[in-house]
Amino acid sequence: MTFSQRHIAYVINAVILFGVAGIVLTSENSHSSAETKTRVEESKHLYGPGDVKEGYDSPDYTTKTLDLQKRIGKEADLLQFVSNPPLGLPDVPVPEDNPVTKEKVSLGRKLFFDRRLSINDTFSCAICHIPEQGFTNNEIQTAVGVEGRSGKRNAPMIYNVAYLEIIFHDGRESTLEQQVWAPFLARNEMANPSIGYVINKIKAIPEYKGLFEQAFHGRGPTMETVGMALSAYQRTLNSADSPFDRWHFGKQEDAVSEQVKRGYELFNGKATCNACHLIHDDYALFTDNQLHNTGLGYLASMGVTTKTTRVQLAPGVYADLDNEVIKSVSRPKENDVGRYEVTQNPNDRWKFRTPTLRNVALTAPYMHDGSLHTLRQVMEFYNQGGVPNEVLSPLIKPLGLTDQEMDDVVAFMMSLTGSNVGTLVADAFAAPIGDISKDDPNWAHEKNIK
Amino acid sequence: MKKKAISKAKWMQSIITFTCVLFVSVVGFQSTAMADETCMSPYMAKIVGQEDYVYVWTLGVEGMGDGQDKLVTLSVNPEADTYGKIVNVLSVGGRNEAHHSGLTDDRRYLFAGGLDSNKIFIFDVHTNPGKPTLHKVITDFVEKTGGMVGPHTMYALPGRIMVTALSNNVDHGGRTGMAEFTNEGDFIAAHWNPTDEDLRGAEKVGNAADGYGYDIRALPRRNVMITSSFTGWSNYMMDFGQMLGDAEAMKRFGNTVVVWDLHTRKPKKVFEVPGAPLEIRCAWGSNNNYCFTTTALTSKIWLIYEDEAGEWQAKDVGEIGDPSKVPLPVDISITADDKGLWVQTFLDGKTRFFDISDPFAPKQTYEHEIGSQVNMISQSWDGKRAYFTSSLLGSWDKTGEADEQYFKLFTWNGKKLSHEFTVDFYELKLGRAHQMRFGAYSLYSQKPNSSGVMLSQTK
Repeated sequence: MTFSQRHIAYVINAVILFGVAGIVLTSENSHSSAETKTRVEESKHLYGPGDVKEGYDSPDYTTKTLDLQKRIGKEADLLQFVSNPPLGLPDVPVPEDNPVTKEKVSLGRKLFFDRRLSINDTFSCAICHIPEQGFTNNEIQTAVGVEGRSGKRNAPMIYNVAYLEIIFHDGRESTLEQQVWAPFLARNEMANPSIGYVINKIKAIPEYKGLFEQAFHGRGPTMETVGMALSAYQRTLNSADSPFDRWHFGKQEDAVSEQVKRGYELFNGKATCNACHLIHDDYALFTDNQLHNTGLGYLASMGVTTKTTRVQLAPGVYADLDNEVIKSVSRPKENDVGRYEVTQNPNDRWKFRTPTLRNVALTAPYMHDGSLHTLRQVMEFYNQGGVPNEVLSPLIKPLGLTDQEMDDVVAFMMSLTGSNVGTLVADAFAAPIGDISKDDPNWAHEKNIK
Repeated sequence: MKKKAISKAKWMQSIITFTCVLFVSVVGFQSTAMADETCMSPYMAKIVGQEDYVYVWTLGVEGMGDGQDKLVTLSVNPEADTYGKIVNVLSVGGRNEAHHSGLTDDRRYLFAGGLDSNKIFIFDVHTNPGKPTLHKVITDFVEKTGGMVGPHTMYALPGRIMVTALSNNVDHGGRTGMAEFTNEGDFIAAHWNPTDEDLRGAEKVGNAADGYGYDIRALPRRNVMITSSFTGWSNYMMDFGQMLGDAEAMKRFGNTVVVWDLHTRKPKKVFEVPGAPLEIRCAWGSNNNYCFTTTALTSKIWLIYEDEAGEWQAKDVGEIGDPSKVPLPVDISITADDKGLWVQTFLDGKTRFFDISDPFAPKQTYEHEIGSQVNMISQSWDGKRAYFTSSLLGSWDKTGEADEQYFKLFTWNGKKLSHEFTVDFYELKLGRAHQMRFGAYSLYSQKPNSSGVMLSQTK
């Protein structure tokens, strides 16, 4: 699937999702056509980057840029997605010591969008996990952190993270409550110098006064309560009830096309995708919560570099740049050996976690390093059997899929967009973005800065 | 009552006459004065004669010296004992991605922005031009503007500064706008750039209305303001080599130039100018109703001009070097007589001089390699002195030995550049030398706002 196709998919998803809303509006006959039009306009903002680049490879590219001032939020009852997860998901695992409450979710959401929680007040969780971009970043392959420091991996999407048994691409963390501190402290993410620095900053920002105490029975901001609040918010981001779910689990025969049904058969048959992206009898997480070596990481570490790189300069304009020129403006690229970096076990070289495929239409670019831009490219990668190496997963082998069959599997994956995506994204838009104000702590706010 | 009305009418007449005289003096001054760099706001006070200082807004480098951004003041008057030396270093805390700076119209304060931290540092450069002090820091640029990120050009308007932004706090992409502040640094208003969804009354002339931002210049005599477009935070902060290899990132560059109504701040036309149009430089001649910009990625010279029918147009009028090799044109500078345009190309470290006597047909007449990399230029009003610095962006500068960081003075005799002196910013552990602004005692020899000299220069 091309980039263009992906954006068409966004639109299709939007139409499908809003179509449901439209039917409701019509049947209730309670909204004017003007209101309906407004809602359609608003829905455009929910399913992809507002800076639309569909067709950018053509010199005839025409912008369809959405306006940030029209990116309007609408708060939702997020707890419903915990107590009653959408069709296709199992019960949401919730730690006994951190039940999800309205107060915690609200506080966690506020923290998630607060750019002040970084060394220089510029970086929130949401800067890498952008709501309308599948809670990841569609606009760059690998993450960029504070001061432009390079991350070596693609920002993972966070829909359905409540179900993860291992967290991060290399699976090095086990609970969301613990996980949140890694980006806070990572030098190439939010770059806070210490846990205490973050806690003290939160305590000094007037907007947070009383919020922790309200959410945690009188407990203020601590390493534990910050992790609990952020986890509570993330545990609500459960998304399913996709066209696939309504067809497969809901037995709604016309919920998906015949091509999607063919893709489903291939997914579970000739393409063997389900060996890792599991579908159970009564739910589907599309992950085995395991790590595998597909060869993609091996290729990046061990592959031979080319002499030139094709670089796009403008719509339809390209140049083949000498790699020596590119090298002259490149900082050393960090190597990535995957799971091995956690276990030091040579058998774990270039293993990465199986991601869920739910909402995969919204989360390009793909793979742990964002190196594949479309689902069609992903299918071609697996169809060729990944990249052979001495520790390649035995599950990865040439598939022999035809072009049509690959298209069918892609169509199946495109049917995995949850019905509540719009609700979750609109709710995220309603969250206040925390930017530094004169009331917040900063040396420059002292009376005599000279 | 009648007598009072007549006297009021006479008073108004006097004001109008006075204003006309001032207007004529402004136009006359702009085309003849021998002072100052040539790319400043026409609303700004001018230096008469030789500049005494150059303020270099410098990026701190992690692990070098004190590791933070600083305003470096260099003595550049040959009559001074300190000629060619650094006379003051003022560290400001943090690596803010120091980038561009701009003086207020009265030239008393220098606003210097951080593209990363979004801070704007306001320096007092008038109390002692040889020793600027930090007057104030604007920390809440993003909050006040409603989400703009990356304060870039600081452009003097009467009594206020217009600050263009590069990005936003939602996706760190290129959609953005510009904001006005008083000369004291108090927020006045935000103006978001036109997009397809909301053109804000503008006409989309070509295929693009991307909402991106970069530079700004004004042509008050035509009531026009012009903005260009670069890229968002994710790209300008990303390692340059990494970005060149990231196909998605390379789609996120601006392809537009917007012509605005200067008085109402409303966009009028959005032109498609592909390949990241950066600096805008407007002609000074009273009948030269045009500005130049160059595109960083596609290596073109574009002319933004008013046609005979009074309509603004945009036209590709020339190439810079070999566009297929992406020389990356960056800063440009127009000569005071509107006949020449200096263009720096970052990747080959060259400056190129174009004859723009015919603005529709620029011709390169000279080139000279300044260093392994080059970005900014500031030339004196008489064109005899050209100062160059090296840094483009903290993560875009060259690496290893090619990462030269310098301030260089060359003299120009109309045919060739001659090197006068170099200050090595790495040897002195200062950091990456970026934008330059001039300072001079002559500006403040009499109390600002109280003398005829200052008034004639500013108004």
